[in-house]
Amino acid sequence: MRIAAILSLSLTAAVLAGCSEQQAGAGDDTAAASGACEASKVRLVGQVRNESNPYEASWLAGGDAFAKSVGLTQERLTYGGDSTKQQEQISQILAGDTKCLVMNVLPNGDSDTAPIVKGADKAGAYLVTQWNKPADLKPADYQTWLSHITYNGVESGQQIGDALAKKIGSGGIIALQGVLDTAAAKDRFTGLQASLKNNPDIKLLDQQAANFSRAEALTVTKTLLAKHGNKVKGIWAANDDMALGALEALQQAGLSGKVAVVGIDAVPDAVTAIQKGDMTATVSSDGAWQGGIGLAIGFCYATGKLKVADTAADNRAFFAKQFLITKENAADFAQPKTDPADFECGNVFNRKAGPLT
Amino acid sequence: MFAALSPQFRSVDNVRSIVDAAAVLAVVTCGITFVLMMGSIDLSAAGVMGASALTVSLLVANNRNDNDFGFLGIVVAVLLGCAFGSLSGFALVLLKVPSFMATLGVSAIGLGVATLMFAGVQPNISDTMLESWAIERFLGFSYLAWIAAACILVGWLIQRYTRLGRYAFAIGGAEEVLTLSGVKVRPYKVAVFTFAGAFYGLGGVMVTSQLGAGLVQAGNGYDFSAITAAVVGGTLLTGGRGGVLHSAVGVLLVMVLTNGLVQVGVSPYWQGGVEGVIVVAAVAAAVIPQRRRNQVVK
Repeated sequence: MRIAAILSLSLTAAVLAGCSEQQAGAGDDTAAASGACEASKVRLVGQVRNESNPYEASWLAGGDAFAKSVGLTQERLTYGGDSTKQQEQISQILAGDTKCLVMNVLPNGDSDTAPIVKGADKAGAYLVTQWNKPADLKPADYQTWLSHITYNGVESGQQIGDALAKKIGSGGIIALQGVLDTAAAKDRFTGLQASLKNNPDIKLLDQQAANFSRAEALTVTKTLLAKHGNKVKGIWAANDDMALGALEALQQAGLSGKVAVVGIDAVPDAVTAIQKGDMTATVSSDGAWQGGIGLAIGFCYATGKLKVADTAADNRAFFAKQFLITKENAADFAQPKTDPADFECGNVFNRKAGPLT
Repeated sequence: MFAALSPQFRSVDNVRSIVDAAAVLAVVTCGITFVLMMGSIDLSAAGVMGASALTVSLLVANNRNDNDFGFLGIVVAVLLGCAFGSLSGFALVLLKVPSFMATLGVSAIGLGVATLMFAGVQPNISDTMLESWAIERFLGFSYLAWIAAACILVGWLIQRYTRLGRYAFAIGGAEEVLTLSGVKVRPYKVAVFTFAGAFYGLGGVMVTSQLGAGLVQAGNGYDFSAITAAVVGGTLLTGGRGGVLHSAVGVLLVMVLTNGLVQVGVSPYWQGGVEGVIVVAAVAAAVIPQRRRNQVVK
């Protein structure tokens, strides 16, 4: 009798605790935090904006490839570039079983990262974020936010600037900027300015924003070609979509092949254009690798092969290696593919190019 | 004004570049004008154009499948635009959904359909005819510009000489009077939306020709640019005034403005704001005569 009473009491208490901490569910997850999950129990989630651009599609494909290699499937989430929708999806996932949950997330913007991190931390879910986070939010301050991976935009902007300079030698160029109030657009343009300093024979004739859009780049390039005429020897674009728009504009102006074009992102069409010689260079962050690596890092910690306590501080937030693609190596990047060796627990931090400060 | 500030602005090359750039906007605006004349609003352009862009790029010769329907593919894409337009129209007259919401919904459906067709790989077109639209020139202007001119002519003829055009005007002016005099307005409303949809469909095809690829975002921003152009040209959002020719002038004004700001060398950080101020000022100037007669602005 007494035992039953105590039992029912504690049960009620447990239920109550469960209610008040439904989102949190942290109490019994200490085992998970130390990484005691069986490989087959791990749940892999990959979240990006949408599947309607080749880069994010290759990201999810990379996640699938990794999941398959460990005998699991990846849950693919897309939120259509809508911050609210992203948060809803995350809280739905976290409301379920979070014991062995691994999430590889592309936050919509810097400000979206904090709630995702806090939710995952409370629920004890393993989280890797990429590209966007506010500078003062650091994975090192959290237990299960394992790592943040991003790319140095200044470096990529400079790399393609240098490639453009090498191709044309001297003369005027025009620059197509991205959405002006994004970090990516600012950093990449800073990179171009650094490149211009090193290449005094290259003159920046004009710079305009084309908002990362192929259609806007087409119109802006046409206008700039009408303005500067044949003084334009090269076009620097802050992403490949704009570079491809610029290529169309050149074709319509009868200038195909006479003006060098560079971009960033290595979308498949741009890589094809480089192989054909229409474009000069682009930079790849390797979307397929990004999609796989976040899940791989999470998987290694969830199964206990890596331990948070033993992880070097600069593995918790870092710039990953990016690749300059020119005609010589374009064939290697023509199809996005992943190398299973990259995802082995001993190698997951091998592409670190520098610490993120 | 821009001509005074920048010698390049006056050049023949630049006139060409303005007219070529205006082609797609002109076609979309032509369609939207009929809806605005009727006193309704249409925000479906972006979605319909995306769907038609993907449709046409998958039906003509491309890198995704073995289709090569050529001109037929273009016709199908335009018909798809019609279908989306009539969907908006039926939602308006049968379900009584306000045109603002109905067309916004149809836009989302269009984008959804386009994303499904996109399936992660961008279709690049290799159809020589469609590609030539943007590249080949006749009397100095690209084929696209001539297509736009033809659309404006067709739009003007319909507006002027057919029952559809005249009723669109009348519905915007005084729908109650028209109903009381025994005219069934509902079929005409559906017809106007269908007709506008055809123009968006064609707009999507033209963007595909320009970019050489089918993009889900093909129509991005065209809905509001087209409304802006129509209003700048003197078509009233309340309906009953304006017309295709007004809108064509509006399109040219808007394009001259964006082109001129670049030519003069206004910093990109300032352009968006400057453009907005000029548009509001231009519309304010255009409606001064009406303001005296009609005190209500909504």
